[in-house]
Amino acid sequence: MIRLQRVTKRFGGAAEALSNVSLRVDPGAMAFITGPSGAGKSTLLRLIAGLERPTRGHIRVNGHDLDQLSSHAIPRFRRSIGLVFQDHRLLFDRPVFDNVALPLEILGYRRPEMRKRVRAALDKVGLLHKEAANPRTLSAGEQQRVGIARAVVHRPVLLLADEPTGNLDPALSREILQLFDDFNRVGMTALIASHDLALVERMGKPVLHLENGRVEARGGMGGGA
Amino acid sequence: MNPERPLAGRLTGWLESHRDAARRSLRRRLQSPVLSLISIAVLGFILALPAYLWVLLDNARSLSAHVDHDPRIAVYLDGPDDGDIARLEDLLDDNGQVERWSRIEADTALEEYRAGLSDPGLLDWLDDNPLPEVVDVVPASTDPQRVAALREALEAAAPGATIISDDEWMRQLDSLHALGLRILAVLAGMLGLGAVLILALASASELRERQEEIAISRISGATHRFLRRPSLYGGLFTGLGGGVMAVLLLLATTAASRQPLERAAGAFDLDFALRLPEPGHVLALLAAGLALGWVGARLGSGHALRDAP
Repeated sequence: MIRLQRVTKRFGGAAEALSNVSLRVDPGAMAFITGPSGAGKSTLLRLIAGLERPTRGHIRVNGHDLDQLSSHAIPRFRRSIGLVFQDHRLLFDRPVFDNVALPLEILGYRRPEMRKRVRAALDKVGLLHKEAANPRTLSAGEQQRVGIARAVVHRPVLLLADEPTGNLDPALSREILQLFDDFNRVGMTALIASHDLALVERMGKPVLHLENGRVEARGGMGGGA
Repeated sequence: MNPERPLAGRLTGWLESHRDAARRSLRRRLQSPVLSLISIAVLGFILALPAYLWVLLDNARSLSAHVDHDPRIAVYLDGPDDGDIARLEDLLDDNGQVERWSRIEADTALEEYRAGLSDPGLLDWLDDNPLPEVVDVVPASTDPQRVAALREALEAAAPGATIISDDEWMRQLDSLHALGLRILAVLAGMLGLGAVLILALASASELRERQEEIAISRISGATHRFLRRPSLYGGLFTGLGGGVMAVLLLLATTAASRQPLERAAGAFDLDFALRLPEPGHVLALLAAGLALGWVGARLGSGHALRDAP
């Protein structure tokens, strides 16, 4: 599903955000990227989502060579991915339902089908009763779950999450990671970046540990150095 | 995990997406009515000014039809023989460009002149009649080109005759009208370009307000076409509003000018009634508003999307 070969990313004249990173995530797998702030976790996820281009190296995701992907082909590629952010990035000018429906609207779904899928996604994250609420009125944990519902509503093949538990207490964090595990069990490949080592270890999944943009350790994860 | 959906479903989805974009755009405009009205007013004034000038020019052009004075062509024949006169009469009878004509014989003219004198005996010292035969021709059309063509035909039929036409004032009016139209076209072009730039600026700034929505949508795979759709509908709404406002302004200004213009025309003995804009003109104004609104929004949103993160 994901294959990175000796990928380096440098922003302008700054130091390398990622140096020579290789990684492989098989279809249907669930894996974690760990490391302290500034280790390059977000950059790695942004490269995989096609939001950034690597300075060197090759990235292949879901059968697409990202370094050969034209700017016209990028939107179609991104539709196969669900992305969850630490800061949720919800739109406060519309209710929860419309936030979750956004990917389906982009895909051109009809209203009845859209309603069914949005309600199913909200039900899965336990927020069906909040579909008409403005996201501003929700707690941080609820906002994160709306963000997750939006990321999975169009049933992407790959789910990427950047510190999805960053602002949550331990109980809520476990709940959120359990949600990712549930999505993974129905076939969604998941790659999650987190600095919470203890929480990640409890999940018993492959882990790639980054320090200063370099792979420091890998537990049960392919790709080589 | 995204099985291909049937074409009919995708088409309906696409139409619903347009409807949602239009609704969202309209809602955004209703949420900030003052700014929306300012954009509409700017476009309305920009459209109404050249339209008003055009109505005035068009009416000025039609003045020639209201002037109680047909152009005339006088053919002065000095000592013609009967053959010359017959040829000329045949031409005048057969030419479709001739409304009517009359012949004033030299003797008749002299008698009329004599009758107008206080002392008719004054002309007795003349040995013979110095006045020419005159054929007075009224053209069927007031169009300067047709009058000129008729004059050329008369010159060919009566080579020795002196021909004088009094349509000079019409040629002057026609060239002034053409000049006015050219100035108006330049003015309308400049104003139109200004309107497009103003609307593009408004559209770009609106798009910047949607920056977060655009960033999220892009991550979810939105194309530029999808992202600029609400802006284009916004441009069409502003354009339609501007068009309607321009029509209202045009009707108001034309109505306000009607009385003074007709009074002024009356002072010159002109039987003139100001023509109001016709349905075709109203539709043209609405279409111009829609076109300017769309082009402005397309330009502004295209630029802003290129710059957006």
